[in-house]
Amino acid sequence: MSSEPSIRCSGVGKAFQLYAHQNDQLKQVLFGLWKKFYKEKWVLNDVNFTVNKGERVGIVGRNGAGKTTLLQILCGITFPTRGEFTVGGRIAPILALGSGFDGLLTGRENARIGAAILGLSRKEVDERIEDIAAFAEIGSFFEQPMRTYSMGMIARVAFAICAHADADVLIVDEALSVGDELFQRKCERYIAEFSRNGTILMVSHDLNFLQNLCDRVLWLENGVVREIGEPARIIADYRAAMIAEENQATGAA
Amino acid sequence: MLASIPAEYVAPFERAWRHRELIRAVVRREFISRFRGSLLGPAWAVLSPLIMLLTYTTLFSITVPQLSAGMSITDYASGIFIGLIVFNLFSELAYRAPVLLHEHVNFVKRSIFPSETIAWTATIRAFTYAGVAFGVYIAFRLLTAGSVPLTIVLTPLLVIPFFLFILGVVWFLMALGAFTRDVAHIMASIVPVLMFATPIFYRVDQIAQMAPSAAVWLRLNVVGDYIEMLRAVALDGEIPNVVGYLALVAVSYAAFLGGYRFFMRYKAVIVDVI
Repeated sequence: MSSEPSIRCSGVGKAFQLYAHQNDQLKQVLFGLWKKFYKEKWVLNDVNFTVNKGERVGIVGRNGAGKTTLLQILCGITFPTRGEFTVGGRIAPILALGSGFDGLLTGRENARIGAAILGLSRKEVDERIEDIAAFAEIGSFFEQPMRTYSMGMIARVAFAICAHADADVLIVDEALSVGDELFQRKCERYIAEFSRNGTILMVSHDLNFLQNLCDRVLWLENGVVREIGEPARIIADYRAAMIAEENQATGAA
Repeated sequence: MLASIPAEYVAPFERAWRHRELIRAVVRREFISRFRGSLLGPAWAVLSPLIMLLTYTTLFSITVPQLSAGMSITDYASGIFIGLIVFNLFSELAYRAPVLLHEHVNFVKRSIFPSETIAWTATIRAFTYAGVAFGVYIAFRLLTAGSVPLTIVLTPLLVIPFFLFILGVVWFLMALGAFTRDVAHIMASIVPVLMFATPIFYRVDQIAQMAPSAAVWLRLNVVGDYIEMLRAVALDGEIPNVVGYLALVAVSYAAFLGGYRFFMRYKAVIVDVI
């Protein structure tokens, strides 16, 4: 494990533009130089952290804390409003599962496109497609249209593609929770294997899972990093805060 | 020479080249999903233009004899057909471009998908269909006239700049359409009007004899200019005016670069608004 940073975020902030009216978006494009037609909603505020190469970092936080937005920025799907970030190497994101799949195409066809999105050449895809099929372990369903798949099967294909993308950085957004026990364990084994050379950043609400698998945990709250460090300590703090909030809510009611 | 071209003029090509495998895979996907579950499958790519050709030939050669004055019915029909191939290509994309990003919202928002490649795949698909239709035209010509003019080999010189022009238009409409659904409605009302402002059922020369000032305006229609030039090389066996051609190439390339820059400029915002 080397100590050069693989992911570095400095002062990253993201504001979504909220439009009172749909047409204001067009007005903004046409007349944006003179007037502002939106209100800003800051979902991330000054996020600073670094992840070293080969590190496994988990992200916890409540719904709406900015976890998914942060991952989307790191993947390059959306752009930060301010601040800078660098991600070293090829990224394989396992985000909102299977949403990039076309239900009319078979698992095999979708896997080919998915691998191309991740930057694999046709030759590389040809070499790996059977391994992807074997990793997904969905048998003859791999040749069926994907609309016939269950959520768990979609997750298997999505994970299998990312596992064969030669990525340097794996970014996982609550993807594994829909798979069955066997597949989850397979993913855990893969993640453990992957982190020998690669970096992993994952969001999960399964705190035990994170505690077992991660080197560090980052607690995101209201768009800022509240704490980052030793998994056992952060997760204990996070749990305590959740319980305190619950007590407060029930006490107030 | 090549090295002296500033990077910004070739940037769109570089990005497309980098994502060529992806573009290929998505184009393939579009064809597969279009023909899956259809009995005749790819045969429709030939049947649709054939039906169109027969309908328009019959209809217009009977009802509008003034327009075909001086031409045989098959020549006139061939001219219409060339016009329709080009215009249908344009109109299909003009209708589709504003909703392209909405169609691909899952790709754009949920995976690391270079959204500018969507314009390439949509345009390649449309040009493939137009290419098949052009094949039908050549077959039609060979059957009715016995030959096609030798100048038809110049067709690629028209197809390439036209492809770039269309690509620029698609990028522009795609970006605009992401901000407001109105663009799709606007196109639905403009395109039929444009159809009559395009020399499909007539030729600009004919208009020039009747109303010289209108013809000047018609020549500003880039799609119409391409139709006229394609007719010249693929039907009349003439070589288009070189100055006019170079001007057309320049305009097309400007549209291509302009559309690309417009899209890339708003790309970051688009992800958040669709």
